[in-house]
Amino acid sequence: MTTSPSPDVLTDATTASPRDRLLAFVRERWDLVALVALAVAPLVVPALGGALGGQVTTLFVYCILALGLNVMVGYTGLVHLGIAAFFGIGAYLFAILTVPMYPFQMRFVTAAAVSALATAGIGLALGAPTLRLRGDYLAIVTLGFGEVVKVTLRNLEQITGGMKGLNPVPPPGAGLKIGGTDLGLAFAIDPRWFYYLALLTLAGVVVAMRRLENSRLGRAWVAVREDELAAEAMGVSATRVKLSAFAMSSAVAGLAGCLYAASLSTTADPNAYDFNRSIMVLCAVILGGLGSIPGTLLGVALLVGFDTVLAPWADSAIQQWNINPSGSSLLSFSGWRLAIFGLALILVMRYRPEGLVPSRRMAAELHEAHA
Amino acid sequence: MTFFLQQCLIGLTNGALVAMVALGYTMVYGIIRLINFAHGDLIMLGACLALTLVSALGMAGWTGAATWLGVALLVLLCGLFCGGLNVAVDRIVYRPLRTAPKLAPLVSAIGVSFIFMNVGLFWLGPADRSFPELLPARNLLAGEGLQFTAKDLLVIVVVVPLMIALSVLVKSTRLGKAMRAVSQDPTAAALVGIDVDRVIAATFFVGGFLGGAASVIYGLYINTIGFQMGFQNGLYAFTAAVLGGIGSIPGAVVGGVVIGLVRALSSAYVGERWTGAIVFAILIVILVFRPEGLLGRGTKEKV
Amino acid sequence: MPMKARTWAAWLVVGMAVAAGCRPADPTLVKIVSSLPRTGSAKQQSDTIVRGIRMAIEEAGGRVGPFRIEYLDLDDSTAAAGQWTSEAEAANARRALQDPDVMAYIGTFNSGAAKVSMPILNLGDLLMVSPANTAVGLTKPGLGAPGEPEVYRPTGRFNYVRVVPADDLQGPLSADWAKQRGVKKVYILDDNEVYGKGIADLFDERCRELGIEVVGHDSIDAKAQEFKSLMASVKAAHPDLVYFGGTTQTKGGQLAKDMASAGIGALFMVPDGCREQVFIDSAGAANLEGRCFVTFGGLPPEKLTGKGQAFVERYQKKFGELPEAYAVYGYEATCVALQAIREVGAKDRRAITDRALAIRGFDGALGRWGFDANGDTTMRTLTVSVVKGGKFEFEEILDAAEEAAAP
Repeated sequence: MTTSPSPDVLTDATTASPRDRLLAFVRERWDLVALVALAVAPLVVPALGGALGGQVTTLFVYCILALGLNVMVGYTGLVHLGIAAFFGIGAYLFAILTVPMYPFQMRFVTAAAVSALATAGIGLALGAPTLRLRGDYLAIVTLGFGEVVKVTLRNLEQITGGMKGLNPVPPPGAGLKIGGTDLGLAFAIDPRWFYYLALLTLAGVVVAMRRLENSRLGRAWVAVREDELAAEAMGVSATRVKLSAFAMSSAVAGLAGCLYAASLSTTADPNAYDFNRSIMVLCAVILGGLGSIPGTLLGVALLVGFDTVLAPWADSAIQQWNINPSGSSLLSFSGWRLAIFGLALILVMRYRPEGLVPSRRMAAELHEAHA
Repeated sequence: MTFFLQQCLIGLTNGALVAMVALGYTMVYGIIRLINFAHGDLIMLGACLALTLVSALGMAGWTGAATWLGVALLVLLCGLFCGGLNVAVDRIVYRPLRTAPKLAPLVSAIGVSFIFMNVGLFWLGPADRSFPELLPARNLLAGEGLQFTAKDLLVIVVVVPLMIALSVLVKSTRLGKAMRAVSQDPTAAALVGIDVDRVIAATFFVGGFLGGAASVIYGLYINTIGFQMGFQNGLYAFTAAVLGGIGSIPGAVVGGVVIGLVRALSSAYVGERWTGAIVFAILIVILVFRPEGLLGRGTKEKV
Repeated sequence: MPMKARTWAAWLVVGMAVAAGCRPADPTLVKIVSSLPRTGSAKQQSDTIVRGIRMAIEEAGGRVGPFRIEYLDLDDSTAAAGQWTSEAEAANARRALQDPDVMAYIGTFNSGAAKVSMPILNLGDLLMVSPANTAVGLTKPGLGAPGEPEVYRPTGRFNYVRVVPADDLQGPLSADWAKQRGVKKVYILDDNEVYGKGIADLFDERCRELGIEVVGHDSIDAKAQEFKSLMASVKAAHPDLVYFGGTTQTKGGQLAKDMASAGIGALFMVPDGCREQVFIDSAGAANLEGRCFVTFGGLPPEKLTGKGQAFVERYQKKFGELPEAYAVYGYEATCVALQAIREVGAKDRRAITDRALAIRGFDGALGRWGFDANGDTTMRTLTVSVVKGGKFEFEEILDAAEEAAAP
């Protein structure tokens, strides 16, 4: 995770007080600070050993998924409304490679790698014939693909278990003994194992995305987003570049799917990979800031965190304080969940249309446009 | 053969309903390039109002001509309600975002759709609600074979005139001309003295009005409404709009009918459980071969 | 990277805003949680179950043995999904498992959800009592998918019981009833869900054994809005009876409506997932009048005697309406859990679970029954009701004893 500090920060840091210097450091290396904080959190917050640990793990998984989507929507500027399908394909492939019903029963890492690659392959297969479609037509193809995948997963019962899903997906390291205890059982009992696994994977994906951002390929993605014709004129093959974005996006989404299935110990049913999920992740990426890694992470933390962590917590708090003895939905938090959610989306778009943490490039462009 | 014809009849009727919703998407898209995700949920709210009116007026007890007049009144009221609501949303939510990045209005539309759903949840409650059967279920066609009831007839007698009126509006009125001008180039339209914001508002109103009318037909034809109905409706209608060529009014109609027919025939000959997949698979195939949809024109390229 | 104070602050919030909910065990307190779909379309069903649970706790005076009872009504659905989700169910199970005061887990409503929480709760030997799961694979070896139900018991020990009879009773007995009714041709539909498809398949199998011709079997998409094309296909097959394996939430009402408007005169039969007033409301009473038959494991509220009758009366007094069929199961499930806790008298999850599994001859609202070796209820009665005048009217009681005698 090496990013060279920008010059103005350096000057700030040399002339400012220690407090400012500390703040500047935190701002500059937010990633490291966050990583350390999250790595230490399970040791000091006992709740992470329980349900909350599972919920936060799910948040990490969605962060990975959103970073995958960000490759398509943020860097390359292709609207993708079916990311959940690739998430689901990853989860199901992973399950097929690991569950006892099938003969493969691969180890976690092998299965995750194989299914991420295969998901990328499926992404390519969808991308190749549809890339000449522009803008919203491509968006609708991805949406349609998402629906096709959902229905297919539901109907191919012999392979996918239909609405039952594939169950149970063994935890990583099942059968592996470390110091007398089974690693798989440790994963199954204490959510902190998955917490760290997901955090580690997320950190890895963040590092990889950063490298990509500044690589030849990453710049080509942005070039195609900004002006396809100009990019072509400069010798960038738009088709290839877009295909690579499709593949990368699918692979990362597939990887997220593997983690998801492993941490839930089931693929869940195909409805878990429907259009709603795609939209939720897309909103998170846009809300956070297209093409911005911290933005994407923040977007997921806010949107998905709202639905999976805050809302259930608020509901049970209302119950415990006995504010709502009659059980009226007007007085429960979840009764208002949708409206709060919708209002937040509208307000952010109204006052920060470029997202909460816009990428430097996007911010510069907007600035330019307004100047 | 009768079976095939029956399925086609069902497909056509369903398709007409889909087309009516699709028009709302395509008109708004045509003019401000926005996929109005809230349109399906707007229709859900229209259906809520329709149900409330039906019970308030006690329409279940009406018969004969009174029923048909009542339905016309419902269409008008719900149309006005949805049209007005659509204009208000445009004014409050979308208009400040005209110069924002392209995806900002899209996300706002999703936000509006969530808010509408929440309103619908409080209005209808969480469970599906039954919409009273106001029209007689008697078969209008003689003989045993085909089934075509007053409900089916209603869809046709409301949808066809509304669509004709719409195409007259867009083709031959001043407003229609202004709409087409704004759709082609808002800046140039403003330069020649067209009040762009008003034209956009009018478009939202017309799209919303059609949606409101569709919501009444929906209630009377399907007879079940629920706060989540907007999503599925929106999905099919939006697909129809894209299939026909988004931005194109005849395209939305053709797209709607195609979707209706595909759904009916795949249910009949492949199996109900595959219909969702088949509709979207056909959509993908058509777009691969006709990237602008069935009746769409090539989109302008930004250079 | 752009450095926004907000960004890392948000990260810290994610990491830290979590300290809530962790306190040491309270020696005088026992918590009972339920995990049911509290938002979305199944809310009305779960409302009645929660009322049943609350009534059981109130009648115990809010105490069990030396302990105070605290009840937590958890939601396993999310607003975004509008129905139960694996994530929410897994989170509820983990939360219950982690809280040392929780001694019983009442749930789930959906069989699919039980498959998620069962293995989690099993790790901590936490007693799980379901008022509504009927999928056979959850408890019965050999009837579900290969590996069921062992896969849900990672420790190899039992922790799951249910007070409602499973579908291996309801599905086949419904077919027997159809045969007895003189049905020759049947068209089977299901909602493709664990519960609905399971029961429809069992019904299908039994029909073929009995020589009833199955003229079609298709799954619907529960998200679809209407089934007019499907009903045209059904009509063309001329069945005497249409069977739907599914629930009100998976469009039982809409199917009945579209069946009527397609002009199909066949009988319509649905399982207990549709035995609620909302089903009649959503289908339109006229469309069901006299032709819709609903099966239900156990006795309907109005036929209950003794403690059950007393429960129904109290419920009616309290809420001003007759309880839905599942309310009494919520009540009974809680009574079972309370009895087990009372008899053990200590906060020992394993002991409580074992005590519950060993319950035989329980004298409750549902009559006299107990758990068998799989944790299933020994109650083997099935009621058939018919819809008349917009209400469920008792039709007859089917007893599994006769069926069990036949091979």
